[in-house]
Amino acid sequence: MKSYLAVFLMLLCESLYSAPLQYNLTAHEIALNTWVVEGKREDFSRANGGNIVNTAFIVTGEGVVLLDTGPSLKYGRELRTLIGTITDQPIQYIFNTHHHPDHFLGNQTFHDRPIYALPKTGKLMAEHGSAFAENMYRLVGDWMRSTEVHLPDQPLTLERLDLGGHRLRFMSMTGHAGADLVVLDETTAVLFTADMVFYQRALTTPHTPDLKQWITELAHLEKLEFKWLVPGHGPVSEGTEAIVQMRDYLIWLDKRLRQAAEQGLTMNEVIQLPLDSRFVGLAVARKEYIRSVAHLYERYENAMFE
Amino acid sequence: MVRLIFLTLLVAASIVRAADPDPLQSPMWDYTREQFIGSAPYRFDERIVVSLPAFAENPTQVPLQIDATVLAGDIERIIVWADLNPIQHIFTYFPHPDVIPKISLRFKVQQGTAVRAAVLTQSGVWHVGSAYLDAAGGGCTTPSTGNASPYWESHLGETRSRAFPLSSEEGIRFKFKVIHPMDTGLADAIPEFYIQQVILRNSREENLARLELSQPVAENPVISFDLKDDLSARAGEYLLWMRDNNGNEFEKAL
Repeated sequence: MKSYLAVFLMLLCESLYSAPLQYNLTAHEIALNTWVVEGKREDFSRANGGNIVNTAFIVTGEGVVLLDTGPSLKYGRELRTLIGTITDQPIQYIFNTHHHPDHFLGNQTFHDRPIYALPKTGKLMAEHGSAFAENMYRLVGDWMRSTEVHLPDQPLTLERLDLGGHRLRFMSMTGHAGADLVVLDETTAVLFTADMVFYQRALTTPHTPDLKQWITELAHLEKLEFKWLVPGHGPVSEGTEAIVQMRDYLIWLDKRLRQAAEQGLTMNEVIQLPLDSRFVGLAVARKEYIRSVAHLYERYENAMFE
Repeated sequence: MVRLIFLTLLVAASIVRAADPDPLQSPMWDYTREQFIGSAPYRFDERIVVSLPAFAENPTQVPLQIDATVLAGDIERIIVWADLNPIQHIFTYFPHPDVIPKISLRFKVQQGTAVRAAVLTQSGVWHVGSAYLDAAGGGCTTPSTGNASPYWESHLGETRSRAFPLSSEEGIRFKFKVIHPMDTGLADAIPEFYIQQVILRNSREENLARLELSQPVAENPVISFDLKDDLSARAGEYLLWMRDNNGNEFEKAL
């Protein structure tokens, strides 16, 4: 009896622990030749392996354009395989939209292809990349196995690119990470905002130069001509709805922090304040609010001293 | 005889049970308790509020607030420490009976740890409040940012402050920020250099609040004290005095 039990337990362990970690990525065609791989609306965890980010690719007539490579080597490999199931065209251009780890740690997989990023993004990656990667190992564990920082090798200075019937326009912004690349495909009217826009998922602020700067840049985005918006995190949406939600949240957060500082609240007291009811339903809202207070409150507090 | 032994055992058992178990089950509780409150009587008291974020987003600047208003007027001192920091003691606060025993500052954390506020009452019993902080770590062994820039050298001890009316209670809050690297001595080749003493005096030369700080207090400390006073009546009546471990003294009228 005992030996049966032992065998049963061994089999159980086997099935639990030997299941290979897999993201099971799927791509959705949201516009002509335009595919989005949507991540979960969550925070990094050992369950999601860091797949909380959106990556996207355009299958032009002259090769694939890939926007962001995901959080790990494993993600990058799965993404490359996925692209291969959709088209035989080679991957022609890869862009890293900004220096946050979930957007570029899949670069290793594409080491044989040119990887473009804003010059400042490359610098920020060189400066912080290793620390980010280390933190990702801590947060998601074995999903990161063998992942190393592979820096972009092409500083992006282009403003436009015409490729295989797609007219792409590049815009350099700063609101989210200090260097943020936004791409507009004028042919399909798809706007790829990366983390300049989060939708239905609370935004993150660890490297924002200034919330007001971010708000100003959102106003520029809103004026562009596009039909579909692909955010860095959250679902694809039609029109400017996602930008409006972002701007509302940023304006509210800026005001909340300024008023709290004027009242002399301590950081802990600000953390304990309730969220505005408009934002309670956003994924990870409470946690990201607390993180934002930690990132930003000191600036507002400093401005209050006599 | 057997009965006597049995009774002795029973008594011994009840004494063991009388010692409150640590609600956070920290492996260091017995050691840190011994170090900070010795064998004095104590109890865990949820009314002593230790406010911390659940996670240390920045391990070099973790906001911490202690609220012991429930024991106001009956407090000898409040000792605050982090069980698993390499230097456990964060600060000791000696509040005057007229102040509201609520204080906040930021500190450095090395790893996830229980944080304690032990409040000694005049009857000699310690009331211990606790909270757990999760952290990726490294806050105590990271060089201060001041170490990489010469800004602090020409601004050492520079203090900016402001008084705010308290909304919920009658009183005012003094919040101040002082430029100081607060080096722990645990980062490679950087000696410890930190403010040890902070005293807030009123115009009658009474110490309203006295703080003894240790190395884990965060760089460029931001500290707030709550006082029972009327904001309109104060005008320059308070003096803040500080001294660091190198003997530098800093003063500012609030």
